[in-house]
Amino acid sequence: MNLQQESQNGVVIVTPNGRLDISSAKLVEDSLIGIIDRGHTRLVLDLSQLDYISSAGLRTLLVVAKRVEAAKGKIALAALKPNVREVLEVGGFDRIFAIHPDRAAAQAAV
Amino acid sequence: MLTFVEEILLLMLDDQDGRLVDLPRSAMNGVIAGAVLMDLAMHDRIESDLQELRVVDKTPTGDPLLDGPLASLSTAKDGRNSSAWVEDLARDADDLREKALARLVTRGVLRKEEGRFLWVFHTRRYPIIDDREQREVKARLRELVLSNEIPDPRDVVLVCLVEAAGLWDLVLTESEQEKAADRIAQLRKMDLVGQAMTQVVRDIQESIAVASTMAW
Repeated sequence: MNLQQESQNGVVIVTPNGRLDISSAKLVEDSLIGIIDRGHTRLVLDLSQLDYISSAGLRTLLVVAKRVEAAKGKIALAALKPNVREVLEVGGFDRIFAIHPDRAAAQAAV
Repeated sequence: MLTFVEEILLLMLDDQDGRLVDLPRSAMNGVIAGAVLMDLAMHDRIESDLQELRVVDKTPTGDPLLDGPLASLSTAKDGRNSSAWVEDLARDADDLREKALARLVTRGVLRKEEGRFLWVFHTRRYPIIDDREQREVKARLRELVLSNEIPDPRDVVLVCLVEAAGLWDLVLTESEQEKAADRIAQLRKMDLVGQAMTQVVRDIQESIAVASTMAW
C-alpha cells in the first residue's frame, strides 16, 4: 500500500493504492489521523487506485470519519471502483461519507 | 475492558431477577457466536468481506474465551463466509456463555445463585452486583442511536448485538425506538459480521416460528 498525498487550495487529497485490508489499515489510519491532527481537516480520499476493501478497511474509514467530525472538518470520497463502492454501500457507509464521481467534485464539496 | 460476549450477556440479564432474557437458545447462541467473531476482528485476528471470513493471524489473543474459537477458525479451509462461521461457532456457544458468565462472577459483576423450581427442575440465576458496566453500555447506546454522531467501531458492534438479540426494549422507550428506527437500521449494517449474525439469528427465529405454527 502506498499513500500519495497532495494539497490543493486547503484541501488535502490522499490517494491510497492497492488493498485496504488488515495489513494496510493501520498505516492508512495513522497517516490520515496524523494529517487531521496537524490541522488539515478538509480531506478528499481519491480511491481511484484502491482495488479492494475489507472489514478492517471499513473500520479504518469509520475511525477517520469520526476524527474528522471531532475536528469539525469535512471528508469526501472520490472515484470509487465498483467493487469498493459495493462494499461501502452494503455497509451503509454511503450515509457517512459523501461519495463523488471524481476528485474535482469531491474537492469542491469539502 | 469486557469482551462483546460479556457485554451482551450483561445486557441480556434481567437486572431485577438475574435471569437471561427470553430468547430461544439457538438464537442466543447465534448472538454469542457473532460476538466472539466481532471480538476476534477487533483483535485483528480475522477479517471479512462480502464473500468470505478468514483468519489473518493465528496468534492466540491470551483470552481463553476467544482463543478456542480462533483455533477452530484457524484449522478450517478458506472460503467460508461469515454466516457459515456464525452457525458453526453457535454450536459451541453454550460453553462460551457459561465461561463468560463465570468470568463475570469472578470479576464481581454478577453473583451466581443455584436453586430448584417445583423442587425438581434445576434453575440458575445471575443477579447483577455491580451494574455500572450495564448502565454505561445502555447510556452509550441511547446516546448513539438518538443522535447523528459518527459511531466508533465498538459501538457499531454493540448495536448489531442488541438488534440481533432484540433487546431495544431494555435500552429505549417505545417512542424512542420509533424515532431511532432508521438510525438503528443504518448502524447495524456497518459491521459485515454483524450483518451476517443478525441474518442468521433472524433465520433461526423464523424457522422456530414456522415450526411452532406447523405444530398447531
